Amino acid sequence: MSRKRLLGGALLAAVIAFALLGPLHGADPLRQNLSDTLLPPGGAYPLGTDHLGRDLLARLSAGARLSFGFALLAALAAAVPGILLGLVAALRGGVLERLLLGLADAVQALPGLLLVVLFTAFAPGEFLPLYLGLALSLWVEFFRIARNGAAAVMARPQVQAARLLGFGAGHILRRHLWPEVAPLAATLFAFAAGTAVTTIAALAFIGVGARPPVPEWGSMMTELLPYYAEAPLALLLPAILIFITVLGLHLLAGRERA
Amino acid sequence: MTAAILPRRAVLASAAGLPFLHRAAAAQPAADMFRVVTSQEINGLDPSRSGYVFARMQVVETLTCADDGGLPVPQLARAWTLSEDRLTWRFELRPAARFHDGTPVSAEAVAFCLERAQRQTGVLGNIPIESVAAEAGGIVIRTRRPFVSLTAFLAHYSTAILAPAAFEGEAVRAVIGSGPYKVARLLAPQRLETERSEHWDGPPPAFARASYLAAGRGETRAAMAEGGQAEMVAQLAPETVERLRRNPRLDIRVQPIPRTRLIKLNCGSPLFNDVRARRAISLALDRAGMAAALLRSPASAATQMFPASMAEWHVPSLPPLRRDLAEARRLLIALGWQPGPDGLLVRDGSPFSFTLRTFSDRPELPGLATAMQAQLREIGIDMKVAVVNSGEIPAGHRDGTLEAALMARNFSLVPDPLGTLLQDYGPQGGDWGAMNWSSPALAALLDELGATADAAERAALRGRASTILQDELPVIPVSWFDLATAVSKRVGGLTVDPLEISYRVAGAKWVG
Amino acid sequence: MRALGGRAVQALLVALLVGTACFMMVRLLPGDMAYRIAASRYGYDLVDSAAADAVRQELGLDRPWLLQLGAWFADLAQLDLGVSLASGEAVLDLLSVQLGHTLLLSVVALAFSLLLGPPLGVLTGLRPGGWLDGGALALATALRAVPAFVIGIALMLVLAVEWDWLPVAGVGGWREVILPALTLALGLAAASSRVTRDAVAAVVASPYFAFARMKGLSDASAFRRHGLRNASIPVVAYLGLQLVTLIEGVVVVESLFAWPGIGHALVHAVLGRDIPMVQGTALLMGLLFVGLNAATDLACWALDPRRQGARA
Repeated sequence: MSRKRLLGGALLAAVIAFALLGPLHGADPLRQNLSDTLLPPGGAYPLGTDHLGRDLLARLSAGARLSFGFALLAALAAAVPGILLGLVAALRGGVLERLLLGLADAVQALPGLLLVVLFTAFAPGEFLPLYLGLALSLWVEFFRIARNGAAAVMARPQVQAARLLGFGAGHILRRHLWPEVAPLAATLFAFAAGTAVTTIAALAFIGVGARPPVPEWGSMMTELLPYYAEAPLALLLPAILIFITVLGLHLLAGRERA
Repeated sequence: MTAAILPRRAVLASAAGLPFLHRAAAAQPAADMFRVVTSQEINGLDPSRSGYVFARMQVVETLTCADDGGLPVPQLARAWTLSEDRLTWRFELRPAARFHDGTPVSAEAVAFCLERAQRQTGVLGNIPIESVAAEAGGIVIRTRRPFVSLTAFLAHYSTAILAPAAFEGEAVRAVIGSGPYKVARLLAPQRLETERSEHWDGPPPAFARASYLAAGRGETRAAMAEGGQAEMVAQLAPETVERLRRNPRLDIRVQPIPRTRLIKLNCGSPLFNDVRARRAISLALDRAGMAAALLRSPASAATQMFPASMAEWHVPSLPPLRRDLAEARRLLIALGWQPGPDGLLVRDGSPFSFTLRTFSDRPELPGLATAMQAQLREIGIDMKVAVVNSGEIPAGHRDGTLEAALMARNFSLVPDPLGTLLQDYGPQGGDWGAMNWSSPALAALLDELGATADAAERAALRGRASTILQDELPVIPVSWFDLATAVSKRVGGLTVDPLEISYRVAGAKWVG
Repeated sequence: MRALGGRAVQALLVALLVGTACFMMVRLLPGDMAYRIAASRYGYDLVDSAAADAVRQELGLDRPWLLQLGAWFADLAQLDLGVSLASGEAVLDLLSVQLGHTLLLSVVALAFSLLLGPPLGVLTGLRPGGWLDGGALALATALRAVPAFVIGIALMLVLAVEWDWLPVAGVGGWREVILPALTLALGLAAASSRVTRDAVAAVVASPYFAFARMKGLSDASAFRRHGLRNASIPVVAYLGLQLVTLIEGVVVVESLFAWPGIGHALVHAVLGRDIPMVQGTALLMGLLFVGLNAATDLACWALDPRRQGARA
């Protein structure tokens, strides 16, 4: 594993550890204490408090579980159908392939964020439209990568020979297609998760995503922006966490994405 | 390998010069323009919808205005008389007043505007006006019953007088008013630019031009004040005030005004139709904590609807709104609510759950809503918060989808608070007032208030009205309001209007 | 030419997607749409159930939904985008003003990104593996991991609030566009600098470049004559991919800097359930995206002689 990948993995591991170990601190991310607002780190509040006296450590950690977990789920929800459809398209070819390609083009006509915003306009603040919108905008890339990779493999002499010999689709899938497509898909998965994290945060920032009091990194930044002069750390921490998470994902993905 | 295409040294050298640009590029104010920044956007041209913007920028005028104490002063009407039977008012117009298109402000034009304002069930629709007519160069208004506060109502922005050429049928085509400034450019909803009107019959303003910019985010407004991007920034967010006070170029003025932040409830909903439920919610709020932590002004925690600065409506002897969680829980249990396994109240299988709408034009409201969410959770009420556009609240009132809203109600839109109260708590309720609640006793009191002129009687009536609102709680007061305005120290002659009727740009001038 | 045909199809798909989504919204969101539309036309004070009924009749909101869908798209085709539920003005009028602002922001952002990214990419591409290359790689990777709104906040706080170099927000003279454009440009430049670097490194390593040097040309003129055009093709092609980032960034950056473009209007419309505006702004943004893509297709075609020969 290259150094870049190791660094990426280390960063992600740190974020995951933070997310999972946060509850050990024992504080409730939603509990307000109006006489303890905007405290600096120290004492009972290891990372300080926000403008409503809520423990920042608890909120950031809950936000990690939310943003990261959600992003992984969305990326998975995009990857599984995307890859499957891509493989099927390459295997079957013909009309089905053309239909799926057309569908992919249709979805890609709109930039992902626009699509997600349209979805969330149906039910602002709800998670399901956010989730569906993200999955819908991300699956196309998985589809294309799977299909292109698989199509290249299908053209190889070994695969053509295998088909002639009567090996079924399942065998071809397992033996030839998957080993080729898997690394590409893994790279893409990391990038997709990174995109999801950023999109969720951006939507929360503009007010279309998560609603109060949900601890989400983007909405935390919105809430704390007015207090940047009094408590700059409170504003900086969610930003740093977003950065570390996305950087870790990009580094882990390895090959640069052009 | 070889020499680079772009000479590297040149690039590095120019980068070193960047710090010397420090402060050189700050926005330089145009010498003759007064820039105002605030939060409210311009939603259209009709006086009933966005008249307050044009009135504050002194583009349109009303028949009367009000001084800082709320007493009527002349504006388009130079003088007025009231008949013996107190049913007939006669207003004499300023003879030299002209609209921005040069036409004189005629009695017919004024009568048309007032009748139009009356047809729209806004402020004028609440008072018993029999007729409005142009007679012998003046305006004669006849009321069905004596109504002493008429002059206060005629200061409301929805009665702004526009030129006949401004209308196309019933719709407003352009804002052609009679004020010292006329519209130069309107870039709705964010920006308005004005310039001196050559037809203004008073002393010409020192500033030849003025501009109005709507910047929704509180920290954006504060940053614009700090950066000298405006001469006056209105509606500063409370958390930015401290920081701005330390700025040597700014003069920060904070004054309590007749505005209250309150929770509007849909009293038709099974959750809120019993007064005990509303009282329980009121008892759960930590007003003192919120006033200190979020509003940075402990004195603004509301003990009743009207702040102490509204001396006549504030009743010192009223038992103050307080926090008492045990009492709140008791009231809710008496109504049949039982705490479920997660602590949330349930009755007949359905939870005590609703959505509170609020908006971020007033930057402190979302924070207050989030704080109250936690406070209500302590007694088992699940309140969700939706930060939307402010228009969603009247829309939800009208189509019945509104459950609760957090807003800041200005009681001096009509300089006599009676005007706002009639609009909000009349038999039909109001967009920004009660919803599905009315009180015949209160309606009768408000009617009488309109009729009597006797000071002692009026004080007694007001006291009873306040008491009814405190008992019934169709809306729940949360906190009173301090108006924080940042004015550049280079500007003199500018006073801040506590009734928010005008920005008084015409009286300002450079001093520094 | 086939590519342009493809873009036309894409534009149609945008219209279909946005139109369908908004049509569904009208039906699925709570609240009486006829009432809202009537109120936006006449003002809340003048509207009552009679007016709402009249609107319902006029717009045919009682007919079977398939017919309504057809009528909806018919309106769309005629560019009848309706009236904003918030201000009562025609959506098309509002959009025409806002589009100008967004175009200005996009063009300036692209210009900034071309000034920042490719030159850095050229510098690092000429010396791949050097210290500048490593530093630029770190910077680019870092920038791509930071969301646009975080970059925007950082720039706003540092450049506008603390150092007072630039205005904070709003639209006015040339100064106001710098911060939002720079925010967008940094994210774009991070990516384009790497693509340029790769392209330049490939050119420098290529046989024709070595040949040009053997001929006696200096590195500078060899690059200018042979390398630049070849290197610029992938850069311009990548620009097309970056347009997604640009359009998405516009939505967030306009909200942050109170820039009155269509991105800002879209967010506003979503918060206000102003569906005609949501449809109008989303449609316009989508079409802008397609338009910019078509422009880069043309640029690629113009730059690459191979393409010119291959297709008609």
